[in-house]
Amino acid sequence: MVLDSDPVVFINWLRPALFFFLQAAAVLGLVALVGGFLLAAFRYGPALGGDATYRMLKTALSDLVSLSPRRIGALARLAVQESLRRRVLVGFGVFLLILLFAGWFLDTKSYDPATLYLSFVLTATTYLVLLMALFLSAFSLPADIKNKTIYTIVTKPVRPGEIVLGRILGFSLIGTVLLAVMGLFSYFFVVRVLNHTHEVDIASLKSTPGDTEGGRSGRTTLAQNHRHQVTLDADGNGSTDIAQGHWHEVDKHVEGDKTTYVLGPPQDLLTARVPAYGKLRFKDRAGRGVDKGINVGNEWKYRSFVEGGTLATAIWTFEDITPERYPEGLPVEMTIRVFRSYKGEIEQGIRGVIVLKNPTNGRTSELKTFTAKDFSTDHMKIGRKLSDKDGNPIDLFDQLAPSGELELWLQCIDENQYFGVAQADVYLRARNASFGMNFVKSYLGIWVQMLLVTSFGVMFSTFLSGAVAMMATLASLVLGFFTKFVFEVAQGTVQGGGPLESFIRIVKQQNVTLQMEPGLSTDVVKGADAVFMFFMQSVTSLLPDFRQFSTVDYVAHGFDIPADVVGVQFISGLGYMAAVFAIGYLFLRTREVAR
Amino acid sequence: MASEVVVETRNLSKVYRDFWGRQKVRALKALDLEIRQGEIFGLLGPNGSGKTTTIKLLLGLLFPTSGQALVFGRDATDVKKNERLGYLPEESYLYRFLNAEETLDFYGRLFDMPAAVRKKRTNELIDLVGLNWAKRRQLKEYSKGMARRIGLAQALINDPELILLDEPTSGLDPIGTREMKDLILRLKSQGKTVLMSSHLLADVQDVCDRIAILHQGELKELGRVDTLLKVRGETEIRAAGLSELAQSEIRSVIERHNGTVMSMDNPTTTLEELFLAIVRDSEARPGRRAKQDS
Repeated sequence: MVLDSDPVVFINWLRPALFFFLQAAAVLGLVALVGGFLLAAFRYGPALGGDATYRMLKTALSDLVSLSPRRIGALARLAVQESLRRRVLVGFGVFLLILLFAGWFLDTKSYDPATLYLSFVLTATTYLVLLMALFLSAFSLPADIKNKTIYTIVTKPVRPGEIVLGRILGFSLIGTVLLAVMGLFSYFFVVRVLNHTHEVDIASLKSTPGDTEGGRSGRTTLAQNHRHQVTLDADGNGSTDIAQGHWHEVDKHVEGDKTTYVLGPPQDLLTARVPAYGKLRFKDRAGRGVDKGINVGNEWKYRSFVEGGTLATAIWTFEDITPERYPEGLPVEMTIRVFRSYKGEIEQGIRGVIVLKNPTNGRTSELKTFTAKDFSTDHMKIGRKLSDKDGNPIDLFDQLAPSGELELWLQCIDENQYFGVAQADVYLRARNASFGMNFVKSYLGIWVQMLLVTSFGVMFSTFLSGAVAMMATLASLVLGFFTKFVFEVAQGTVQGGGPLESFIRIVKQQNVTLQMEPGLSTDVVKGADAVFMFFMQSVTSLLPDFRQFSTVDYVAHGFDIPADVVGVQFISGLGYMAAVFAIGYLFLRTREVAR
Repeated sequence: MASEVVVETRNLSKVYRDFWGRQKVRALKALDLEIRQGEIFGLLGPNGSGKTTTIKLLLGLLFPTSGQALVFGRDATDVKKNERLGYLPEESYLYRFLNAEETLDFYGRLFDMPAAVRKKRTNELIDLVGLNWAKRRQLKEYSKGMARRIGLAQALINDPELILLDEPTSGLDPIGTREMKDLILRLKSQGKTVLMSSHLLADVQDVCDRIAILHQGELKELGRVDTLLKVRGETEIRAAGLSELAQSEIRSVIERHNGTVMSMDNPTTTLEELFLAIVRDSEARPGRRAKQDS
């Protein structure tokens, strides 16, 4: 998996996020108050308008403290019953159908089937659950208002807040149950589909070249469109190589005079690697310390590059390097971006070198070379016993990281070629977390998204009709998924300009890189786009960035979802729900439901 | 009668506007009403006269354009007033996928009633409206009359002090109508206040203490039913034991012929006639308003 930003740290995130939340709440609250007063003053005059606004504020506060769990529970239960009546289970049926026929359109010859299958089930679940939440939440309240069943609710001592909250809770409950069942089915589906074994092709077993102790190697039979190379020791036990992202253990079984080799279940196929990230700094081509590497163009935003054949270096400082934590040596995993200034041998990777260094006394290990290919992850196991640059033996933990701190220096050897790196691109695989728990954490992300869509749907339905509320929720969702793009368009960093300019370019079949002809019409178009994009940016900045709730990539690529990410998802989800609840309350409170 | 004022409207007006704020219709014009505790008050008027608008304003379902609607001394938009009132809408706007028991239990929860109380009230009310035999059936299977009964039951779930009934007898058969009227009188005898609107004038005449007649959003007549129906300037005599001959000289000779005067009073008209006369008069002379009396 390639992270496009530095790993999030919950504590660092919380302060600015909380500040932004309070700021937005204060601004929106003020806008609501002033807007409400102006509207009331326009209708009833300033004195009565002021009184109405004051009473509204007072009622809102008293409503908030008198929320009744029993009433909310009753309304939530009603929402559940209504959902079941509206055949919400059909959604689940569709999900089962998709799973049943998944084999038809998923490529089992894939290089990494676990990633494919996991992305598939998680994405399918996300879309289905979000769609379901969208339909349920947006149509419920408008239907109640249209059927006038709302009359018998609001003439009871029910606060508008309870109506909003009851609905959000009810639909969320349905969504939660559906999500849990879908999760369970998905889990067993993936495990069942990917679980397989092979047999050792006895005829292929030959003595391992160079092994004097009687080791043998060969290959397995074909299963699920792949086979492995097997390496056995003299006792007949061993393991396979990594193919399609996994390997198997091999055990020898002897029954009488019959010998069989049994392959265990796939290892590392469904895993949750816990990476230990280091801090990254750079040295430029002359060996001077710099904050960032070289900018090679569009890649600048997150990754920066080190130039090959120079002193340019990327240096990671890792902490807590102890034999207790890494008893079998350092498992280094690297996903290095490659930027070629000339094509070279495209089939061969670009050569690089890494060195481990004691940050205190500067003692270094010998060079370890590797070749990097773009978009692929290199695995490297660095054992405890190493040699220094002069060939003397040194101990990884005692000599290179006696204080627990260790530097990893990375350089590109090939001249005029570049390595692109960022903090998360080189890490130590500290341990493996439970895949099941990781799967659950990923579903928690979908769950928060479902809660948000439900809350937005209910909020919009307090003042819009069903179809319009659905469209508004959908628009929020789409904008939420493309927050980054909207910001980039607004800031002019996307080629082709704003919506109007893009439209004109499409009609005139004009390349996005061409400058528009200067003149009044271009100024008008650009001006209109700027105004529109300012509005879009303002709206978007208030909407949740839905991509931050998606952890599909983590699970699909076998990475543990950090607790920090889950924390961020929960707190920001909660913040948005609180804001959306307040808006929904205000709209319903000021609405004449009998009109 | 100096009992507590339960419902009060002061200069209550409602103008319906379209999306752009343009006036569409003046549904209610400066209504002043007072309804006191323990009385049955009828709102009468042809379609579009403002009856339902008045009830909706009193319930806080609509907000007044000007004036005030007070229930139990609180503004009609204050939800706290709802704790003491019950409302039977014009049609039974209930959740059709619930059965009678679930419906009453649901509305009981909205009053924050504990489970035991809800169960007791539900059983009592299902008995009261005679739906024991159908309490487990979903409301979508109910006839209009049955839906009306369960609607009434939900309006009474909190044992309210004020009951607003919008067309309570519509959709009921003659027996159902009779039962509804008996029930309204029983509620009155329990000291409850009832505000009802109806087209069915005979029903109003039978049960209401006071009525207000609305036409085109204006209050046209307000007063006690017995007073309003009295025809002034005419006298009605009911006598018994008179011979054929004596009947021709009724007033002057009753006593001379040793007859017994059973009653001597103004004759009464029917509410229907009064209603039609008011509507005709209102159309002929628009703008005439009723004077307050009690």
